[in-house]
Amino acid sequence: MNHPNSNADGALVDPAATDAVTDTALLQVQNLEVRFQVGSRFGVKKYLQAVDQVSFSIQRGETLGLVGESGSGKTTTALAVARLVSAAAGSVTLDGDDLLNCSGDQLRALRHKMQFIFQDPYSSLNPRLRAEQVVLEPLTNLGKLSASTQLETIDRLFAAVGLRPEQKRLFPHQFSGGQRQRIGIARALATNPELIICDEPVSALDVAVQSQILNLLRRLQSERNLTYLFISHDLGVVQHMCDRVAVMYMGRIVEFADRKSLFNTPQHPYTHALLSAVPSINKRRGAANTRIKIPGDPPDPVNLPSGCRFVSRCPIAIDRCRQEEPVLAGSAQQQVACHRVAEPVPIRQLLADG
Amino acid sequence: MAGNKAVANTAEPVVGKARHPVMEAVAMFFGNYAAVVALIVLLVIITGAVVGPIYYPTDPFEMVWAPFSPPGQEGFLLGTDYLGRDILAAILAGGRVSLAIGLAAAFMSVFIGITVGALAGFYRGWVEEILMRFTEFFQVLPTLLFSMVIVALFGASLPMITFAIGIVSWTAVARITRSEFLRIRELEYVTASRSGGATNFKLIFSVILPNALPPIIVQAALMVGSAILFEAGLSFLGLSDPNTMSWGQIIGSNRPYILDASYTVTIPGLAIFITVLAISLVGDGLNDALNPKLRRR
Amino acid sequence: MNKPILRVEDLTVTLTTRDGIAPVLDNVSFSLNAGESIGIVGESGCGKSMTALAIMGLLPQPVGNIASGRIWFGDEDMVAVSDARMREIRGNDISMIFQEPMTSLNPVYTIGEQIAEVLRRHQNMNRRQAMVRATELLDAVRVPDPARRVRDYPHQLSGGQRQRVMIAIALACEPRVLIADEPTTALDVTVQAQIFELLSDLQSNTGTAVIMITHDMGAIAEMSERMIVMYAGRKVEEGTVDDVLDNPRHPYTRGLIACVPHIQEVVTDQRQPLVEIEGIVPSLSEFGQNACLFASRCRHVTDQCLAARPPEAQVSLQHHAACWHAEKLS
Repeated sequence: MNHPNSNADGALVDPAATDAVTDTALLQVQNLEVRFQVGSRFGVKKYLQAVDQVSFSIQRGETLGLVGESGSGKTTTALAVARLVSAAAGSVTLDGDDLLNCSGDQLRALRHKMQFIFQDPYSSLNPRLRAEQVVLEPLTNLGKLSASTQLETIDRLFAAVGLRPEQKRLFPHQFSGGQRQRIGIARALATNPELIICDEPVSALDVAVQSQILNLLRRLQSERNLTYLFISHDLGVVQHMCDRVAVMYMGRIVEFADRKSLFNTPQHPYTHALLSAVPSINKRRGAANTRIKIPGDPPDPVNLPSGCRFVSRCPIAIDRCRQEEPVLAGSAQQQVACHRVAEPVPIRQLLADG
Repeated sequence: MAGNKAVANTAEPVVGKARHPVMEAVAMFFGNYAAVVALIVLLVIITGAVVGPIYYPTDPFEMVWAPFSPPGQEGFLLGTDYLGRDILAAILAGGRVSLAIGLAAAFMSVFIGITVGALAGFYRGWVEEILMRFTEFFQVLPTLLFSMVIVALFGASLPMITFAIGIVSWTAVARITRSEFLRIRELEYVTASRSGGATNFKLIFSVILPNALPPIIVQAALMVGSAILFEAGLSFLGLSDPNTMSWGQIIGSNRPYILDASYTVTIPGLAIFITVLAISLVGDGLNDALNPKLRRR
Repeated sequence: MNKPILRVEDLTVTLTTRDGIAPVLDNVSFSLNAGESIGIVGESGCGKSMTALAIMGLLPQPVGNIASGRIWFGDEDMVAVSDARMREIRGNDISMIFQEPMTSLNPVYTIGEQIAEVLRRHQNMNRRQAMVRATELLDAVRVPDPARRVRDYPHQLSGGQRQRVMIAIALACEPRVLIADEPTTALDVTVQAQIFELLSDLQSNTGTAVIMITHDMGAIAEMSERMIVMYAGRKVEEGTVDDVLDNPRHPYTRGLIACVPHIQEVVTDQRQPLVEIEGIVPSLSEFGQNACLFASRCRHVTDQCLAARPPEAQVSLQHHAACWHAEKLS
């Protein structure tokens, strides 16, 4: 196992940060909030609460999935964790270091422990750089590398992601989508990070290429003991990749469970609806009429309904749901934010009865 | 073993030549015949202006013959003007000055424009507010009037004329640079560099700016042409350095005789016309070559 | 037997690129019966969208051209008809919905005006009648509060509602064929479920035949009776959805089904690596060769595959696969 603190490239790891970690969690996010100003009227600023009271932690070597539809705040959460958008409140701790309250060189050093894989393999590579320059960029930001170190690093990374060494002088537009994503992964590995945030890493790729990239990510994880924060809207991919899953809706986590609990015994009505909405080759023609349906579209994020955010689409909402926002509660394996889980009748039954 | 398998998985025949995007643009440019012809014309004009006065050392200010000697007669290829000065010598010497002013003024506006536009587009917020208000202030000034005031106040020296032209024409570059920065700063490769620990300085100058350059280059090329025209306009109004010959200066000084000896005005006018047209065509060619949407076609 | 309303015969479409002329559709044939629902599945660049554009007479000009083949709509050959007749058919008898509901609507007109415009052009309705009908259509595609929504501009609607409006426009003239090109790719999965339900209800009510183009096998399974799998401009497999999904005979179809992490009914700790289709799709310059274009990625490849383009082997009455080894792969 290649422990990140003893990596060959050196210089990337803050030695002071490695001790004094009592918790085994690599990343801890607590009550994270992100808001965007969406205009002001009569001097009163209006905000869009993109991420609201989000807390989770990721253990070393595991994959945490964030799922949800567009506008659920999953990507914003990831960007805030990586300090690529600024958080309004909350704390993010990476390996014992407070990420939100550092700056300058300290922040740059911390960023090397946490890298990003982007969704769009076309816009995420600088078209003016050669593949090798793209991959080395995070390292050269820290200082000049010797030519031999560069060569050795490039060859090692290209081999790790399945690119051929003779391709390193090519420009991004000379690669296919899947190969570009491999370059993006090699770039993320360059600094020997501990945490990699994968933001919809395969949703822009063709299905045949998706499986290549997903297998690559799983192989790299087991070889290097990597920790993934994996963001996706595709429940099939999440089921395959993630050890624990947080389901987000309109900026909040509505259900948080390990893989088996979430997919075998989903609790929140939204999770039920999501799972049932995924088209599958096992459901045949006409299945569209038998699934659990949730009506309408997600609400306007600036004017959320009072009480539970899902209330406007929930088929089993009661009065309490309109007045009181449910909080995440449950066991260590599975937590749910829904008033109706406490009832003796299971949610699945309630939904089936309509 | 797993590594070998992955390599085999991506096995496909394409390992094309690593062609730099700039080289592709160059190839594209040379496929555009109008632009290539214009480039050749422009090179001829530049060569004429640079080496012409060396091989044709007649002083353009010296009276060499009787005034108003028509072109081709009495031994002067382009004739003489109202003071009996050799027009060919004036065209060659004036070309140097006109092109130099054009280049220098364009360089100056590109420099100011990129600085203002890049900072505004990158930092957004109050930086952008202030810089763009500043840009708008220069944009609403009547350009010809403003430069006339500058030249009238500080004297009609060559650097001052260049400065006057540059100061009124950088706003277009600033706006283009800003809009390119606004677009590119949101692209994921910029976020990738940021998360890779790049400093703001690096993001601005070595990540975003090279990708923002194509439209700026096109604008700069066109600006050389418009600066030459601008200088001619100022000279025509008599606001030029009387001790340096330029194409506008020839037109301006021969203006009273436009009906009696039209060639004294037509010949420098043609020189300006051909040069500016050639620059525009080269600019167009650059635009097509540097525009990736057209290239994909 | 049902007489097909749309029959594509040996259709070859070429695209002129900087590097030459490539057959992006290579000898493709299929037919569509009245009221039937057929799915076309494949990766990007396989020619599935080109098929739709060729039927609609909307190939990108001047680079895309029909090189050979016939597209029969009833007794008319749409390759040969005049532009005026094509405009009459388009939007009236055959209509299409696109992937991007954001850019398919004109932002300066209300959605009511945009639906009414189609009705006035094809059905000779006056303004009043058309607006009344537009409101009815919005109701039919389950846009809430249609009387008010008819006066809204596209930017006031969500993505899902915009796609409903697109469906309303496409169905305004009660077409006999509806082509849906990735109609839900830009939408969330819960909204996609609503759109699928709407489409299948509308189809059973109106008897419109649907060609559904998608990259998602699951969507095809739920929406279509028959399916066509395309690869590199060619049809590689065709059959009923049950036949193809349960017993795929082309190695590409098999790979396409197996490489996707489908949602499992019961999740266990077991997680096998996904099946990979090795390599990448051929580039346009390799299209049109007299060989199996999938050969470079296929694990069953033999010399025969490289020597000649495989003919369509009949597996059963309705099930064909263009593979030399279709018989053996079962």
